[in-house]
Amino acid sequence: MQTPTGHQHPLTHMIAEINHIFAKIGFEFAEGPEAELEKYNFDRVNVPKDHPSRDMHDTFWFKSKDVSEPTVLRTHTSPVQARILEGTKPPIKIIVPGKVFRNESTDATHEAQFYQLEGLCVDEGVSLGHLKGTLEYFFSEFFSGKTEVRFRPSFFPFVEPGIEVDMKLLEGDSKLAGKWIEVMGAGMVHPNLLEVAGIDSKKYSGFAFGMGIDRLGVMKYGVEDIRDYYTGDLRFVNQF
Amino acid sequence: MKVVHSWLKEYVGEKLPDVKTVEDLLNFHAFEIDGVEQVERETVIDVDVLPNRSSDCLSHRGIARELATILDIPLDNDPLAESPQFDTTDAINVAVEDSNACPRFTASLITGIEVKESPDWLKTRLKAIGQRPINNIVDATNYVMYAIGQPLHAYDADLFPKVNSKWQFDVRYAKAGETVSLLAEGGKDEDRIIELTGTELLIVDGSSNTPISLAGVKGGRYAGVHADSKNIIIEAAHFHPTLTRKTARRLGIVIDASKRFENEPSRELPPYGQAEIIKLIAAIAGGKCEGVLDNYLEKTANPNVEVTLQKTNSLLGLQLSIEEVAAIINRTGCKVEVEEGAGLLVAQGPFERTDLNIEEDFIEEVGRLYGLDKITSVVPDTTNIVTINAKQHYAEKIRYSLLELGFSEVVTTSFHKKGKIQLQNSLASDKSYVRGDLSKNLHQVLDANFSHTDMLGLRDVRVFEIGTVFSQSETAITEHLSLALGVRTKGNGFTPPDEQILVAACDALEELLSISLKWEKEKGVAEINLSQVIEKVPTATEYGTLPQKSSTHYKAVSPYPAISRDIALWVSEGVQAQEVEAVLNEPAGDLRLRTDIFDEFTKDGKTSYAFRLVFQATDRTLTDDEVGTVMENVYLAVSARDWEVR
Repeated sequence: MQTPTGHQHPLTHMIAEINHIFAKIGFEFAEGPEAELEKYNFDRVNVPKDHPSRDMHDTFWFKSKDVSEPTVLRTHTSPVQARILEGTKPPIKIIVPGKVFRNESTDATHEAQFYQLEGLCVDEGVSLGHLKGTLEYFFSEFFSGKTEVRFRPSFFPFVEPGIEVDMKLLEGDSKLAGKWIEVMGAGMVHPNLLEVAGIDSKKYSGFAFGMGIDRLGVMKYGVEDIRDYYTGDLRFVNQF
Repeated sequence: MKVVHSWLKEYVGEKLPDVKTVEDLLNFHAFEIDGVEQVERETVIDVDVLPNRSSDCLSHRGIARELATILDIPLDNDPLAESPQFDTTDAINVAVEDSNACPRFTASLITGIEVKESPDWLKTRLKAIGQRPINNIVDATNYVMYAIGQPLHAYDADLFPKVNSKWQFDVRYAKAGETVSLLAEGGKDEDRIIELTGTELLIVDGSSNTPISLAGVKGGRYAGVHADSKNIIIEAAHFHPTLTRKTARRLGIVIDASKRFENEPSRELPPYGQAEIIKLIAAIAGGKCEGVLDNYLEKTANPNVEVTLQKTNSLLGLQLSIEEVAAIINRTGCKVEVEEGAGLLVAQGPFERTDLNIEEDFIEEVGRLYGLDKITSVVPDTTNIVTINAKQHYAEKIRYSLLELGFSEVVTTSFHKKGKIQLQNSLASDKSYVRGDLSKNLHQVLDANFSHTDMLGLRDVRVFEIGTVFSQSETAITEHLSLALGVRTKGNGFTPPDEQILVAACDALEELLSISLKWEKEKGVAEINLSQVIEKVPTATEYGTLPQKSSTHYKAVSPYPAISRDIALWVSEGVQAQEVEAVLNEPAGDLRLRTDIFDEFTKDGKTSYAFRLVFQATDRTLTDDEVGTVMENVYLAVSARDWEVR
């Protein structure tokens, strides 16, 4: 019996695919630490201490005796936005796929660790129209079929206006086709994020989005329980 | 925020659309709807009000105003339309220690009331939103909070001692060690006595310096309204949001009143709360309002904000005129002044909209009210990227090389039961450390998967992971990308043959990267700091090509064990393995999970094939007998072809 070729984990395969799709429209692959300073995870993305918007994330904290600055397991990939904005002149076009953590009880649709995809585009004259076009391009490529997106109002502290994004696959016989599905949060980068990084918010604007890669796999491959990604069980991995 | 459809109608009037339309209007122009339920005869809509609008929309009036704005109609009955006018009273006095902590404190004196059950309409509405009716006075305070968002508290004036014939309230910080007794929490019988640290703001009975409540957070039983109360004092105040939140969080108290104070409702709101409750109590409990104390120490006004047409259109991707923008902002109740010819307007939110502070806040209003569906997509240009991410490039390169060598990839938990770095807080005791290496997880993965090799058609288990691991420096948590790979050829743990396959794979990676690597090897698992490796290899110039994935549709794994049966047989030379496999599979039926060939040789004009058939059910554990019966049919099919079972 020959040794068969191994199987790539669906999460890293999706990340590679996402990277290839976004590279074609000029988005570079960026990264940041998983053990993140509170400053970047919250304050620099416009989530001040003792503000009710902090309740949106249940956070794992490192012990204060182990760190000189308060440190968390990042609750989202948005702190990478703050880090990149701080050290880069526009135009900026990045994606940030990475592991994030939430101190929540787990079930088939919630894990204490999961992968998120962040996108950020800052330049002169960037609008919600650019965001819409970019997302339609991405979903159409990723789900191999023409996809439409629609926006609904929402709130995330790091964007203003903030929106919720639904997508609808227009073609194909996939279970997804023809239905509106809520996929991500997005919006126009809040001027506070630009200003604190020394970028003139009168001149530049940007869009940002964030979504769960685990959930993209639920939609693309029919994964029923997102905890399966992290079990190390080859009966799961070898199906891909 | 649960809102009752009929309650909204009280403010919106007859033009309020049906429930389905209300849902759609809110969904596409304001808030997501979490659900709709019928409670007795009331329809209750659960509106997901997010932090940006929790200052004004944790109230029926707020949601009603939102609907009126979306529909571009005036509210039929707006409790915030006119500034309330009261007779003042000098029977009540308040002393506020810090005007920043309590910028406004109002109290009304109502005499001659009768405590009884609330009328049905009121009880029904409270029950519809999940509140338990208590008596008409307490219910009235709750009702007004859910109506306009102002928390209130009622005291029995006769149980509240006077100082120089006045009721004296003090609002001051606690002294360290002082205690306050708070009302029992839901499901508990006993009041909660809290020892204070000194940072908390208290409402105090000035006659005896007794703490009555934690300001903005929770009240106590002190001078509480009871069945025979006749004269009452109603308090409506504004407390600093952060101060309220800190105390509430520290004590783990999150109640509807504290949640509203935390979200900074307008400082203008307390008198409106008084006006509403005075009206309501007169209607359901009788009595007379003797006057209102209004101690307004620090006024604030919403800012005047310049909104440019250029920024509005450029953020939203629309082509509106300044008149259109002005008209939309005006619908929200904002004051708007257009500066003619300047492509500019100056807007100020109505007093309750404390969330409208910068240009972008107003632009958001324009976008959602005009309609986010009217934004047209701008198709992105195809272009090349300049920078290749080294970690992603090399991780992919290593990954594809290991896949070729038969290694499958796993992604495992970042949490360990034991380790070097413990988290401050975690949900489960077996997940309270972060991982310092990948090897521990890989050993477990190898152990757990070995029993599935037949089911997977594998002779051995080969896995790898590329992931972040953590370590402790003197002052910070540091991390790096790690690569670990592991091999298991026998079921009972590590054996020397594991090492051979592992070494070959490690060698192959060194050749791939043209670098010699220092692996940490232990019992069939090798690990290396990949971040360090990537620093030593040449700069990446492009990503590799993406391997195609077949259109996989994942099937849940059966929790029941699999059973394997081997069959070896002689066939005439030239009979292909696929043909034999098809003959075996047909009678094996639906219980067959997979068939793998594991041996093949030809001798004297005959070929020997050996296959392993794996059986598994999705709903039960298969028995040996059950599989034995299936195999009988397989043997019959083989003999029917005149093949000889070895």
